[in-house]
Amino acid sequence: MSAVSYSQLVWVTLPEIALVVAALAVLACDGTVLRGAAIARRRGVAALLACVGSVAAMLLVGSGPASFHLPDGMLVMDGRTRVVQVALLVLTILTVLLSEAMLTPAAEGVAGGKTAFTHHIGEYFALLLFATVAVLFLVSTQNFLLIFLALEFLSLVLYILTGFDKQSQLSTEAALKYFLFGGISAAFLLFGISLIYGLSGSIDLSQIAVAALQPDPLWMIAIVMVVVGFGFKVAAAPFHLWAPDAYQGAPTISAGFVSSSSKVASFFIFAQVLTLGVFGAAGSGMWHGAAPGWVPVLCVVAALSLLLGNLAALVQTSLRRLLAYSAIGHAGYLLLAIIAHTPQSTSALLYYVFTYALTVLGAFGVLAALEAQGIDRIADVAGLSRRAPFLSACMLVFLLSLAGIPPLAGFFGKFWLFGTALNAAPQLGLFWLVMLAILMSVVALVYYLRVLKQIFVADVPANAGAIHSGLVTRVTLGVMAAATVVLGCDPGLLIRWVVR
Amino acid sequence: MVPVSYYLILSAILFSIGVGAFLIKRNIITIFMSIELMLNAVNLSFVAFANYWNQINHQFSGQIFVFFVMVVAAAEAAVGLAIIIALFRTRKTLNVDQVDLMKL
Repeated sequence: MSAVSYSQLVWVTLPEIALVVAALAVLACDGTVLRGAAIARRRGVAALLACVGSVAAMLLVGSGPASFHLPDGMLVMDGRTRVVQVALLVLTILTVLLSEAMLTPAAEGVAGGKTAFTHHIGEYFALLLFATVAVLFLVSTQNFLLIFLALEFLSLVLYILTGFDKQSQLSTEAALKYFLFGGISAAFLLFGISLIYGLSGSIDLSQIAVAALQPDPLWMIAIVMVVVGFGFKVAAAPFHLWAPDAYQGAPTISAGFVSSSSKVASFFIFAQVLTLGVFGAAGSGMWHGAAPGWVPVLCVVAALSLLLGNLAALVQTSLRRLLAYSAIGHAGYLLLAIIAHTPQSTSALLYYVFTYALTVLGAFGVLAALEAQGIDRIADVAGLSRRAPFLSACMLVFLLSLAGIPPLAGFFGKFWLFGTALNAAPQLGLFWLVMLAILMSVVALVYYLRVLKQIFVADVPANAGAIHSGLVTRVTLGVMAAATVVLGCDPGLLIRWVVR
Repeated sequence: MVPVSYYLILSAILFSIGVGAFLIKRNIITIFMSIELMLNAVNLSFVAFANYWNQINHQFSGQIFVFFVMVVAAAEAAVGLAIIIALFRTRKTLNVDQVDLMKL
């Protein structure tokens, strides 16, 4: 083990440092200069500082050393990690911009209208930035100690963001469920890590990979435990129990962040752990004659996620719960790419998870803009296209992209992902799983179209007026919808970044 | 010299007690304690493995891991208790069976 100089460490973690400085600046500004100012003003300043910090971090990521590798895989940076980091920072900026809608008090006299969900503006934005620091560390390490620390850092911040509306019974209940399931899954992950450490004598993924070549029954227990831990983070069935409640109860923008940024980072590191760390213990998921390893375990998890997520979404009445179950279904598609574990499938995974995060954050953004009017259930959005044409058009793009309709980004993501899964090594036997995934994406179309039918076809309720949303929200949503269309029409724009 | 397998068996037993308590107990604080028990069971196995590997190749990252796990457990306690207090203020109960506004 060789020593690392502190100046080098500071040099390579400059993006994270910039974010922490921005978070502290947000807190300091909000607590001192703006104490007692109007919420709109505090929100504007905090959002501005958060955006400046994120952009600075993005520039630092871009201008940092091309590639470096600290001893024991503590921090590893290459071209692809950098792309993931930039994507995560973009998602943070979008989240910050979209939170405008959530923090604007509803106009007086709106039936069922809610006021801003919190007065703690500075803390909210600072926590968003801290969560971003956690995801940046999470994707740039190949060492189990740092993976565990970053994952817990991220989880703790997300628990707080979920329970941020502390006056609301739903929000605190969501936070409690998220916290308890998160705690037990962290314990499982840790037990898996301790077994892997015991078997290999190392917590560095590249050294574990050498030891994993000798199969041992204990490896299977360790791998199953690690899959439980990560399965919780990515909300895959049967570890999904927290997700619908957390998505429904959490402040909408927090739910958007949980479903986008945290998902991108968790999937990336999950793929890293399995393909770099325990690659040797892959096994086979063939229908007849499965061989032990992590592939059959993940096949079961993916199949369950596909079935449960998509079928349960059919019967939901709450829009956010529907998005939660569809997120479980999407976790199934994404696990397919991890199971295939070829270089192409990892690229497809990144393309899919980036576009998924963009569209699902957009959908939550639209819901956040509507929530000020007290809209949450599917029945409430009846005739929305006449009340809020622009928001409805954005929702149309996001939901059709989630369903995988050409020419939107979600279609190409699914197409590429299924293609690479079919082309994966034949001994993996993924044909049945790909067929199931295609079948389930047809089912998914049903519940997305059900929402769109309410928005565009159903009659407007008698006493409903037009819905106005803020300029920043509309511009952000418009840009996200345009990006969804452009990335679908010309996938090459993103492909050249995600292919190594 | 106690063999490493003894420690592992003890650790697995403690972990199972934690999982069992998590599933059976109805009081949120007790459930929370069972999570801590599981983390400490893992700590035991980390220390046992670290001792084992230290004799073979002088690697003891497991011991360092344990310190971080303790720190994380403390941070988790801070956040967890804050959430429990917020919940108690809105619901006046600490029984998980009554925290059921949202169902599948």
